[in-house]
Amino acid sequence: MKLIKMALAAGCMLAGTVLADPPTGYPFVDFDAGLKAARASGKPIFVYFGRYGCAWCDHTNKKTFSDAGLKKRYSENYALVYVDAESGKRLTLPSGERITEAELGARLQAFATPLFVYMTPQGDKIMQVPGFKTVQDFEDYDRYVRGGHYKQKTLLEFLGGKS
Amino acid sequence: MRAAALLLAALAWPAHAAWTWSEPLTVNSVQGSAIFPHLESANRQGVAVSGGTVGVVWEDNRSGSPQCYLAMKSATAANFQPETQLSKAECYEPVVMALGAGRFVAAWEEAGKVHARVMPGGKTLQLSKTEAAQVTLALRDHTLYAAWAEQAGRFRRIVVARLALKGDTLSVKSAQPVEAAMPVDEQGWPALAVAGDGSVTVVWEDRRHRHTVPMVSHRPDGRQFTPPARLTDRKSGSVDGLGAGTGAMRPTLTAWGEQGIAAVWLDKRDFLSGYDVFAAFDTGTRRFGKNIRVQDNFGDNMAQWHALVVGDAAGRLVALWDDARDGTPDVWLSEWEGEAFGDDLAVPAATGPGGQSDPVATLDAAGALHVVWLDRDEAAGARIRYARAERR
Repeated sequence: MKLIKMALAAGCMLAGTVLADPPTGYPFVDFDAGLKAARASGKPIFVYFGRYGCAWCDHTNKKTFSDAGLKKRYSENYALVYVDAESGKRLTLPSGERITEAELGARLQAFATPLFVYMTPQGDKIMQVPGFKTVQDFEDYDRYVRGGHYKQKTLLEFLGGKS
Repeated sequence: MRAAALLLAALAWPAHAAWTWSEPLTVNSVQGSAIFPHLESANRQGVAVSGGTVGVVWEDNRSGSPQCYLAMKSATAANFQPETQLSKAECYEPVVMALGAGRFVAAWEEAGKVHARVMPGGKTLQLSKTEAAQVTLALRDHTLYAAWAEQAGRFRRIVVARLALKGDTLSVKSAQPVEAAMPVDEQGWPALAVAGDGSVTVVWEDRRHRHTVPMVSHRPDGRQFTPPARLTDRKSGSVDGLGAGTGAMRPTLTAWGEQGIAAVWLDKRDFLSGYDVFAAFDTGTRRFGKNIRVQDNFGDNMAQWHALVVGDAAGRLVALWDDARDGTPDVWLSEWEGEAFGDDLAVPAATGPGGQSDPVATLDAAGALHVVWLDRDEAAGARIRYARAERR
């Protein structure tokens, strides 16, 4: 039993290394696994585009993703994907193209991390928002995405109309 | 209106005046909306010129899986010959180096290990015994080197090999990790250069400081590499207890002048404007000096991508990259002018509507610049484009 626990702990350490800096306690997976899970479940995809050692990612993890309500909301309702902005690890886009995680940053013209990208279950981009965000921000984005408001309104129009 | 147009033309004149460009050619013979060519590689070595013959390597998925290809064009030919497939199994990040007299050596990752082959002819040699990727090459005075990122325990580390070439046959003469100790975090994306004194310099991405730092080592005596040093002049460290440092990635190297080495990489020290292109020089002391920003102020608030540097023994030095300062990705270059990099110049055929990106380049023996890039078209598929430029 002790050996099994040690093996599981070692596995968690390895997974943490591969994924660099995702917030702890969330079921983040890599892009390919997330896209597959989203297609199977019909859940939208939430991509956390971070960077190894990124201070603002660290700040967002500590200040925002530590919120228990946010963790529950996003863990239950999204396929959570973590992408490392400087990694050479390969992923497959919905088009079938194989690129590196770093190249995804170039395609998204990501100029800052963290960058958060919301996608449909098929992997089509809904919107991307860069930089530190609060719990309230993520709750607003969640209502915008899962409520389907993005089909009729821009995010600014949606947020301008909220109470 | 006419006056404004004349003014714009006058302002743009130096950019067009600096180089005379050939008509662009398409390199890849097969295109399609579901075919995705890539020019990515360690040190961005996708084009070489050997005795007047241009060789271009890339990866695409036309056969249903990623495979690596080489296309060649002689100096007098109007177009590239149909490409040759280099690989049999899943292949990524090929590089090519000129051997002279129209011969090349290509290297690539295939089925999780790195390989090399002399072209045309030659048989494929597996370079790494274990899982490896991101291979790159360097050549000086008939001595050929390769470097790659090889799995060593939990992480990859950088290995440098000296290759022997007899006729069209390659063999590994020696292979040595830059550091004997096992890596404590990920290493990757090596770039190699051999200076005029025969010393080998290698740079790579390194995460031992809990963020990505380009590191450098050189081997002055043909035996041992020096302890790794930072290529960047930024220190690691958290800010208010957060993070571990800014990011920097994809270092590239070139031998430059009689004894020098130049490095260019993407650097996020100004974290609000994306990656910028930075450079550093080793003038022969085997130490890199202060870091210099390459792109001009017009590209300052824009993320730069896919940077590389090419140089030659005559002292020419050119950095290239892509950025979207004009709305869509275009290929830009800047030439070292002795004390600073010059104004950013657009590569004429790699600018304008649509996306032109991912440059690779080389300088030939006469100082002509050969540039290859991706020209993206979602409907028709991406073309690999080539143009040659001569200094006026």
